[in-house]
Amino acid sequence: MSTVTPKSLASSGQKPIQEICHPLGAEEAASAGVLTPSPDVGNTTSSIGEKDLSLPNGTPVETSSPASSSSLLNRLQLDDDLDGETRDLFVTVDDPRKHVSTMETYITYRVATKTTRVEFDLPEYSVRRRYQDFDWLRSRLEDSQPTHLIPPLPEKFVMKGVVDRFSEEFVETRRKALDKFLKRVADHPVLSFNEHLNAFLSAKDLNKRQGLALLTKMGESVKYVTGGYKLRARPMEFAAMGDYLDMFTQKLGTIDRIAQRIIKEQSEYLVELREYAPVYTTWAASEAALQEPLEGVAGCLASCSGALDELTEDMSEDFLPVLREYVLYVESMKSVLKKRDNVQAEYEAKLEAVAFRKEERTTAAAVPTDVEKCQDRVECFNADLKADWDRWQNNKRQDFRQLLTGMADHNIHYYEKCLAAWESVMPLLQDPQSPEARSDSEKD
Amino acid sequence: MRCCDYTIQLIIATNIKNKKLANQFNRSFVALRYTIHYCCTSSIQRMTHQSSTLLRRLEISVAEAEKRTGKNTVNMQETFTVYLIETRPIDAITDGHNPAPDSLWRRYSEFELLRNYLLVTYPFIVVPPLPEKRAEFVWHKLSADNLDPDFVERRRVGLENFLLRVASHSVLSNDKILYHFLTEEHEWKEVVYETGFQAKADSRIKALSATFRVKNPDKRFTEMRHYSDELQSITSQLLRVRARVADRLYGVYKVHGNYGRVFSEWSAIEKEMGDGLQSAGHHMDAYAASVDDILEEEEHYADQLKEYLFYAEALRAVCRKHELIQYELETASSDLVSKKHQREELATGMVRTFSFKGMTNKLFGQEAPEQREARLGLLEEQIVEGEETVKEKTSECQEYVKDAWVDIQRFKEQKDRDLREALVSYAVMQISMCKKGIQVWTNAKECFQKM
Repeated sequence: MSTVTPKSLASSGQKPIQEICHPLGAEEAASAGVLTPSPDVGNTTSSIGEKDLSLPNGTPVETSSPASSSSLLNRLQLDDDLDGETRDLFVTVDDPRKHVSTMETYITYRVATKTTRVEFDLPEYSVRRRYQDFDWLRSRLEDSQPTHLIPPLPEKFVMKGVVDRFSEEFVETRRKALDKFLKRVADHPVLSFNEHLNAFLSAKDLNKRQGLALLTKMGESVKYVTGGYKLRARPMEFAAMGDYLDMFTQKLGTIDRIAQRIIKEQSEYLVELREYAPVYTTWAASEAALQEPLEGVAGCLASCSGALDELTEDMSEDFLPVLREYVLYVESMKSVLKKRDNVQAEYEAKLEAVAFRKEERTTAAAVPTDVEKCQDRVECFNADLKADWDRWQNNKRQDFRQLLTGMADHNIHYYEKCLAAWESVMPLLQDPQSPEARSDSEKD
Repeated sequence: MRCCDYTIQLIIATNIKNKKLANQFNRSFVALRYTIHYCCTSSIQRMTHQSSTLLRRLEISVAEAEKRTGKNTVNMQETFTVYLIETRPIDAITDGHNPAPDSLWRRYSEFELLRNYLLVTYPFIVVPPLPEKRAEFVWHKLSADNLDPDFVERRRVGLENFLLRVASHSVLSNDKILYHFLTEEHEWKEVVYETGFQAKADSRIKALSATFRVKNPDKRFTEMRHYSDELQSITSQLLRVRARVADRLYGVYKVHGNYGRVFSEWSAIEKEMGDGLQSAGHHMDAYAASVDDILEEEEHYADQLKEYLFYAEALRAVCRKHELIQYELETASSDLVSKKHQREELATGMVRTFSFKGMTNKLFGQEAPEQREARLGLLEEQIVEGEETVKEKTSECQEYVKDAWVDIQRFKEQKDRDLREALVSYAVMQISMCKKGIQVWTNAKECFQKM
């Protein structure tokens, strides 16, 4: 059905069960208690070629016995910790460098690949790519894998006057996002076998390949753009997805606003703290016995200011970009849902037309292959989408767990630094001669 | 038993006695904390152990506050607060009995009257200040309203502190008017006015604000006056900035409460993540709520700073009084010198310095011998008076310098101790705040990890 069949799947060598997505997704299977029996899979084998449930070496998966289905389930859900042994494609984006030419100035990143896959000629690659190249890769993926959810890229356009495109923070934030993008693609059981990804990772000179690719692949993209068919009703499960995405986007927006507000309040607090500490220093100058304690307090407040500065910086750099990236992710998912709607609409329209014409025929002719093809496309799309949805939900859970844990960690470190500062100034404040100091330390 | 034990006993006893609302009970506990703070920093201990001061013999506290309405001087209805002063002789307690304290009600203006009386009567003493008349250095959530219960409570504590400081002062504690203030409710005002201090009060105010040049002030007093100016300016600045810091801190904490709400809403649309998010949200709510207690405790620190802001004024007044006395002495001395010169001129006929009489003599001729005799006689009288005055003023000055310097030294030591303790308790507060922050975020992190 789709033009892209990673034909390599069967011959790619041992693939762990994790990287085979069940068409119904882990969740539904969980509620069903057992995986869909093989017969269904068998019917659609031709169309869901890449979702062949049998292991690459031909061993059929036992889907009927609960024992094996639950273990399959468990392993499907353990996507979280893909340990090094089961992965065979590792990618990294690092080492940003500035390039200055007469025409323009831009940043390139090193893209390093390590792999044992036979689709690649070499086990290791190291190439330099710029944002444009990532953008190209993404649109190629979108066009060639329209039934799949493509991870988002960091925002393309940056207002020149407002943000410094070459500042360390901006480049680092972007690099992290690009690295995440590429890792997500490389972890995807279908996308990672895409020939464009291969070219992206391995080709010395991407520009030439880009040109070629453009010429040959031009025709495809048309197919999944709306053919003018309108879907009457979205099936419930996809409607639920749509609803979830709408509500989720809303929550993301709220969290983004709150996070920004907190950063703003903390910055204003920092401004006042920075005025507060020096007053103690001034006071210390006119005191004798109190000079040391007052200067101690001033120093302590200065340390706390530094810690607060770091906190706001960390939150701006680590927290906000990830939130914004998920907004883009949601947009991608929504557009995939729409594409699916279009494919279904087309199928339904054609089916209706056939039914209409059927009345005019005398013989019960077989359903025309055109409609059959549409039906295949719908089922294929649905399966891909559901699989990607589950994967996305899982990744989302991990990503947010990491993000929020990171936020908690940043705050904990901030308070730990402040605590250390105040505890270290205590001996300075207490008069070592006085009985209070002695009794205080005894009390503690 | 230590003094603080008495005070705790007293407050709790008061509490059980009265059948008022629950929040008054809570207020007492705030006061309890405050008093423990104050007491256990042993300044009260020290005050009590000062030899032969009133506080040694009499237990004093400002136990309650109440609203009253009445007609004021222009016959308008007004609402004001009165404070209950309770006293018990210490020997009655040490015997093992628990007698009920004597008590009377006083309002803030009466405390002011007492203090003004003390200022005038003991100008060489750095008189302890009253808590502020109006709420100043207020950050946004704190009320500037004098009838606000938190303000009234803090004022109650401040008034008690004032009384304890006065009653433990070696000089002030012996004052009869003070004793009267503490033990007899009625007609105290009349007694105070009978002392005639009001007249001295007016001239004191004038003198303090007058400008005059002193030729030979005691350098130590000049330095002290500079110091008092600096202390006043720096504590005032510190209080201002601290209030702004408190305001901002409040904002930071409260915004986190929004996370509580959104996590709760978000958890409703999630499956596996839901529980973790929901419980983390509760921790965020707790975090946001914790700032109220934190800042209430910090107000105690602000009150301690304020006390010394006002103390700085009292110190300045003592130094200025020295300058005034010195100035009066110098004026009397130079008056005497000029009178002596005049006598010399008259006696010898030599014109030493330019004088009007000299001029008129030249212009209109010498005066008659009888007139000269008369003038000489007058001058002699004036010189004798002048010498008396100079003698008086000199001894007044010497005595004042001696007495005032003793009290200034006492004040300095007290200030160093008190402010050091204030800084310690401030640090303790900060440490507690940090520990609470670590706790809350660690709890939240555990919830996130369960997502």
